[in-house]
Amino acid sequence: MLEKIARPEEVRRAEGNIPVRHRYTPGVAGEVFFEALRDRGVILGSRCERCSYTYVPARLFCERCLAELAAGVEVGPRGTLRSFTIGFVGVEGEPLAAPLTLGLVQLDGADAVLLHVVLDPGEEPLEIGERVEVVLRPAERRTGSILDIEGFRPLELHEE
Amino acid sequence: MGRRVAVIGAGMTRFMRRAQETGKELAFEATRAALDSCELTLDRVDAVCLTSAPDAFDGVHMKGEYLSDGAGAFGRPFIRTYVGGGSGVFTAIQGWYTVASGMADVALVVAEEKMSSTQPHPQGAFLTIFDNVLERPLGPNLLWIFALEMNRYMSVYGLDKRDIATVAVKNKRNAAAHPAALLGQADITVEDVLASETLAWPVQRLDVSPISDGAVALVVAAEGVAEKLTDKPVWIEGVGWNLDTAYWTNRDLVFPEYVQSAARMAYDMAGIREPRKEIHIAEPYDPFDYKELHHLEGLMLFDKGKAPEAARDGVLNRDGDLPSCPSGGLLGVGNPIAAAGLMKVAELFWQLRGEAGARQVPGTPERGVAQAWGDLMQVGTVVVLGANSSGRGGGGGTAAPLASPSPTPLRSGPAPSTAPGATPALPLSQTPPLAAGGHSLSDAEFRSGVGAVEHAVDARYSWDAGVAVGRFLDGLRAGKILGRECRGCERVLVPPRMFCERCFRGTDGWVEVESTGVVQTFSICHVAWDMERLETPEIPAVIAIDGSDGGFLHKLGEVSEGDLRVGMAVEAVWKPVTERTGSILDIAYFKPMRSA
Repeated sequence: MLEKIARPEEVRRAEGNIPVRHRYTPGVAGEVFFEALRDRGVILGSRCERCSYTYVPARLFCERCLAELAAGVEVGPRGTLRSFTIGFVGVEGEPLAAPLTLGLVQLDGADAVLLHVVLDPGEEPLEIGERVEVVLRPAERRTGSILDIEGFRPLELHEE
Repeated sequence: MGRRVAVIGAGMTRFMRRAQETGKELAFEATRAALDSCELTLDRVDAVCLTSAPDAFDGVHMKGEYLSDGAGAFGRPFIRTYVGGGSGVFTAIQGWYTVASGMADVALVVAEEKMSSTQPHPQGAFLTIFDNVLERPLGPNLLWIFALEMNRYMSVYGLDKRDIATVAVKNKRNAAAHPAALLGQADITVEDVLASETLAWPVQRLDVSPISDGAVALVVAAEGVAEKLTDKPVWIEGVGWNLDTAYWTNRDLVFPEYVQSAARMAYDMAGIREPRKEIHIAEPYDPFDYKELHHLEGLMLFDKGKAPEAARDGVLNRDGDLPSCPSGGLLGVGNPIAAAGLMKVAELFWQLRGEAGARQVPGTPERGVAQAWGDLMQVGTVVVLGANSSGRGGGGGTAAPLASPSPTPLRSGPAPSTAPGATPALPLSQTPPLAAGGHSLSDAEFRSGVGAVEHAVDARYSWDAGVAVGRFLDGLRAGKILGRECRGCERVLVPPRMFCERCFRGTDGWVEVESTGVVQTFSICHVAWDMERLETPEIPAVIAIDGSDGGFLHKLGEVSEGDLRVGMAVEAVWKPVTERTGSILDIAYFKPMRSA
């Protein structure tokens, strides 16, 4: 029943796309989180007392028990590096001009970790467990975006 | 048929145009409201069933997982299903079999949709429901399907558009009493509907349900558990679902066979023999006004072609003999696709408990049917709910004693709080459904909100025509329309396929059919898929090709609007040989045949 394709160049194809783009609201909790980040330069989390767990960024609800939460806890700006990776290629597989280091950081006061760039890792190799600090954009350049955080900077021992 | 299963709680957000909430937050608000309605905490939930329509609405793959935390699925057995517009009712069916099977005693059933994220128009996410090779080159618009089906329905039965418009009026009026509704309007008239902008004739603006955001959730529980959690369980007595052929242009669009097949399955399970007598409330799927009527006929509640009369005569009104969409339906409450279907099941739950407040239908309704439809106009999903525990729905042989019918009419006011000492009685506007959340943004707020981001999933596709359609396209380039013969069911299939989906056997050979055909239905479409007005209207049509048992979607030309008729004979107008490329567009259009 199936026919062998003798001339693949003649296989009929239709080109197309799904012509949509998306605009995402940050949501009830996200709006509070981004306003605080932009206007006050602070990182807000949400604590569920019942589950003894602090989420970052702030959330409207606890996924463990579905309690409604407030965006009421300031966390960081210092924290602990829980994992990291160093990327050498982009999404298309192309080499990057400079390696990009991404880290998962547990900000002080939080249970969840936050993903962001690790800035200036320096000469010494990074280590899991290392102490880091949030670096923010200057206030006048903050727009209410996750990029208002420039990244995490490893702390020198004497800075702790 | 497993254990009997009851709905014991329900909640929903407002349905709205642009929600501030993320999809997760919408799911949370509905789920929280459903749990609160039966005073349950999340730790009593054994499993979660969720639905949401195309991932392309959100540009998020694995949308089920994306939404799962808001649905209470953390650390639980979880599944997301999707059957297009049929999803909302289907997920209730899934909740039923998750519990009936014994795998869970208590399950959450959650449906969420956030269509406002999709730019410039959610229809862009739907375009791939059209055949990529044979239909999308024509530039189709989702309205085409509805307009074509509506015209065929009207033409075959000689229906009056006024009678169909009464459905939109009824539902928007009903929705005026729904605290979560987007388009409730107590004073709307048939004239308003008939005067609204024509989008794709015969479809006008007010024949169509609105783009919406929202979420709905139910709590379902097994017999033996449900009765301990509520004194008013509403039993899932029957479920049914069914798929018709994916070749929508090969179907007679007049009657939804898939709904009838799904309804038969559900009625058999519920022990219903005379649906018109045994069902007291219907919530048929009403994304367009005619569709409610179409579906009432598919549900065997009215004879074929007779539902419009019932609408005209008030039979479907809230105080009529068979209240249909007492919620206000998709036309009135709103149409966040997957959530809209589950809203219908929730409405039956509230109505059968006598808790629908100002929407309560009079009398003592004991049994209702909810139905949704979707995929490529081919899936029917049906749920029968009953307040009376004598319903078979599971046939476990341990049925609870017959509940005696209530001797007094059901309240029309607010239900008392079922939470003694826990929460104060809710004001009328917050009687079920608990319009728990939903903050609607203006367009300006939506465009300028802090923290909002834009993305595009920049993916392009190259679709193979495949064996049968590849040969069909070669035929078009040669000026021939080719079909495949199936000797099993003695059909000539156009568009051709290498296997017959009815007989499930290989088709037998190629047949050249005529370049002429008969118009099954047509529309005059004034808008593109992004709802921008077209300078020149297009005339899409389904054409049954002479010498075949099917037909396809194309356009008509060289015809004035006044001469258009269902049943008119047409012939293909081919592009010049040198301009043909092996495409459906090698036929420029079909034109009326000159009468001999």
